[in-house]
Amino acid sequence: MTRSPWLWAAGLTTYGFLYVPLAVVVLFSFNDSELNASWVGFTTRWYGILLADDNMLQAAANSLFIAIVASTVATVLGTMAGIAMHRWRPKLLPFLVLTPVAMPEILLGVSLLLFFRQVLDLTLGFFSILAAHITFSIGFVAIIVRARLAGMDESIFEAARDLGATPWRTFRRVTLPLILPGIVAGYLMAFTLSIDDFVITFFVAGVGMSTLPLQIYSMIKVAVTPEVNAVSTLLMALTLTLIALASRFAPETLKSGQ
Amino acid sequence: MKALAALLLGLSALAAEAADTLYLYNWNNYISADTAERFEKWCGCTLKQDYYSDNEEMLAKLEAGAAGYDLLVPTGNAVQTLIRKEELKPLDKGQLPHFANLNPAYVNAWYDPGNRYSVPYATTVTLIGYNADKLRELHLPTDTWALIFEPKYLEKLKGRVTVLNSQRELMAAALRYLGHSAQDTDADHWRAARDLIVRAKPYWATFSNSTYIKELAIGTIWVAHGYSNDMFRAREDAKAARRPFAIGFAIPKEGAVLAVDNFVIHKSSRRPDLAQRFIDFMLDGANAADVSNLIGAGNPNAAAVPHIRPEVAGERALFPTREDIARLEMLRDLDPKERRLMSRLWTEIKVK
Amino acid sequence: MPASFSRLRPSAARLTRWLVTLPPALFLVVFFLLPALIMAAASFREPGEFGGLAPLSEKGFTLEAYRFVGEDVIYAGILAKSFLVAGATTLLCLLLAYPLALLIARSPKRQRDLLVLLVILPFASNFLIRVYAWIIILGPLNLLYSTTAVIVGMVYVHLPFMILPLYTNLEKHDPALLEAAQDLGAGTWTRFWRVTWPLSLPGVFSGAVLVFIPVLGMFAVPELLGGTGDILIGNLIKEQFLDNRDWPLGATLSLGLTAAVLAVAGVSARLTRGRGAAA
Repeated sequence: MTRSPWLWAAGLTTYGFLYVPLAVVVLFSFNDSELNASWVGFTTRWYGILLADDNMLQAAANSLFIAIVASTVATVLGTMAGIAMHRWRPKLLPFLVLTPVAMPEILLGVSLLLFFRQVLDLTLGFFSILAAHITFSIGFVAIIVRARLAGMDESIFEAARDLGATPWRTFRRVTLPLILPGIVAGYLMAFTLSIDDFVITFFVAGVGMSTLPLQIYSMIKVAVTPEVNAVSTLLMALTLTLIALASRFAPETLKSGQ
Repeated sequence: MKALAALLLGLSALAAEAADTLYLYNWNNYISADTAERFEKWCGCTLKQDYYSDNEEMLAKLEAGAAGYDLLVPTGNAVQTLIRKEELKPLDKGQLPHFANLNPAYVNAWYDPGNRYSVPYATTVTLIGYNADKLRELHLPTDTWALIFEPKYLEKLKGRVTVLNSQRELMAAALRYLGHSAQDTDADHWRAARDLIVRAKPYWATFSNSTYIKELAIGTIWVAHGYSNDMFRAREDAKAARRPFAIGFAIPKEGAVLAVDNFVIHKSSRRPDLAQRFIDFMLDGANAADVSNLIGAGNPNAAAVPHIRPEVAGERALFPTREDIARLEMLRDLDPKERRLMSRLWTEIKVK
Repeated sequence: MPASFSRLRPSAARLTRWLVTLPPALFLVVFFLLPALIMAAASFREPGEFGGLAPLSEKGFTLEAYRFVGEDVIYAGILAKSFLVAGATTLLCLLLAYPLALLIARSPKRQRDLLVLLVILPFASNFLIRVYAWIIILGPLNLLYSTTAVIVGMVYVHLPFMILPLYTNLEKHDPALLEAAQDLGAGTWTRFWRVTWPLSLPGVFSGAVLVFIPVLGMFAVPELLGGTGDILIGNLIKEQFLDNRDWPLGATLSLGLTAAVLAVAGVSARLTRGRGAAA
């Protein structure tokens, strides 16, 4: 099919729109000035300040820990949900699974805040953030796994059955390997969502329990220095690496994501 | 899996360290890094801070279940609210030998008779900070709220004024300018205040609780409604950066809000003993003087006065004279109905 | 797996079904459904004297919050503005995303994966960073703290949500259709408008919904990039919980937003069903 010069121009403009702001962030992380207004000179001191910033490091550790645990649980539950939705087409489950994905995050955050405080009288912290992250991630994993299953040829399973395999054996030796790329994609998706989440975490984080996005937010609100740029750059580098790895090991990750 | 185990181990180590940590929920920039360090050395413990920029924000976070703070620094009206909600631990005066250092004028306040729960730490006045050179150039008055409310002055300042993003503070300023008390709860007076604010809003750059300090010091903002200690900081920053202008600040003649901020111990505190040691440390004259010398706050501690730099102690806006104090009021908390009306008026102010 | 379960005895098959379905369902009932119901219930409570909710035993239920919201048009106005901003954002996203999605869909297979990766990568950065980037850019241009800034930020944050569904749809178009149209004498624009566009509508709707609904509820972008008048319904809700301590009012506004979202989802479902194609 033709890709006319107009199409190229328009497409590249959009790419530019996507990348230029981020390039600015990265560039100014090396700016030798307290402000982000104009370029003064090259320096790496903001990265030094960042790495000495205890609050930031603690927040990063928290984010990482939460992301690992939340995405693991969400992947397990989400895979189960995806399989269930594909195989038995239950009535209620899709609603439960997909609505958190479709709703504005603030509604989830607020309702969880109310739930944790009013009903459970729980002190907000690790557990509340974990529960919240798992809740909104299950849906993403389920969608990906279900899509993967839907794309598969049923005859494989019939063949396995005809060859005498028990359901569990079929699952372990046939189904699981086939949907594994979807599961991996789901895991990475859940991980990125958790590390990145701001709105829901904002409502259920409580005190003394900061995550990276919350830390960045308070830095932006109180005093913007290139330290914010530095942490942004590092975070981008991390997620970039993760996604690059994902597309290496599971090339269909990107496709599965749709 | 191994990585997970290592991570968990590392995190539990961090948690163990938390045992000797004091959690302080404080205003932005209200304890200097020096003081914090000195305290940590003195007690051999760690001080961890979280920040808020508004009493309402702090109360709302506590209401939303924020727990695990040992110390808070609420203003008088918030202290009263917290006491009535039974959220505070009573103080053990026996562990506070330096309590006598306090200026009697600040002890036994209306919000905490007998100081059963609170120890005053610092005072601020909400006032107007300004770029002195710019205002002189424009022939504008610097001692009245009219500077931020009257279009005839605002015309020359369009886009160069910020006001506090605080319902109570901004309404209080408007009420005082209109000749009412800052504690007035008459709905009509409130609506008049709202109209005054809405009329002035188009000239303001933005509502800001903390970014105004930097903006003033750099010179992008010429007039800011804010806290006296923040203005002091802006002035120092501008001087240090050798700007071609000076930052001034003054208590408007129509009157203003005085805030007395106090240390209190939250009931969920895990280390009330450390908290008490911290409070006593801050009651010592030399340490208490830090909040004035380094931060520019007023000081309720009599023993601190000899340690305070004369240019700070002599600054009227930071250490109001007797006649100044007559024009100052402390805010009291509102009841739910009043809060709801105020929140609607605030929404109208934001939207119109 | 699907077919093989028929080999099991009915009871074993049912057990398997429950074992697989129950854990996620239970988790979501507890952490999603229940909180949603609590939130709905909270809107009928009185605010506590110092904030939060008043104890049920003391004050009981009330419609006060609803009356409060209903009697002043300002709240409906803010919801309306949120719709406008969401609509503008969706439209702009569509305009920016379509050419790019077309470009990728028409590229040779090898290039396509790379191009899609290049779309996803910026998305991988933290959402706040993406907003912050515009604070840096728009500040010196004096465009900050305005509705323009809000819309730019919203478009920037949500663009990938429009690009990907569009691309997924466009990729499936049969090039033979366009060739046939060309053979029949159709010009470039006609080919697009009569062939490509109608076929892409399910993707357009998918993308539109994926952009419109989140934008409706956002508060961070207006808060960081907007001026004082740019508060949307999300900001109002956040304010009630984290500034005003007025939880019943916050819950009422949240229900309002939920109703709006359901309405949009319903309309979109109606429209896509009418087209006869699942997105």
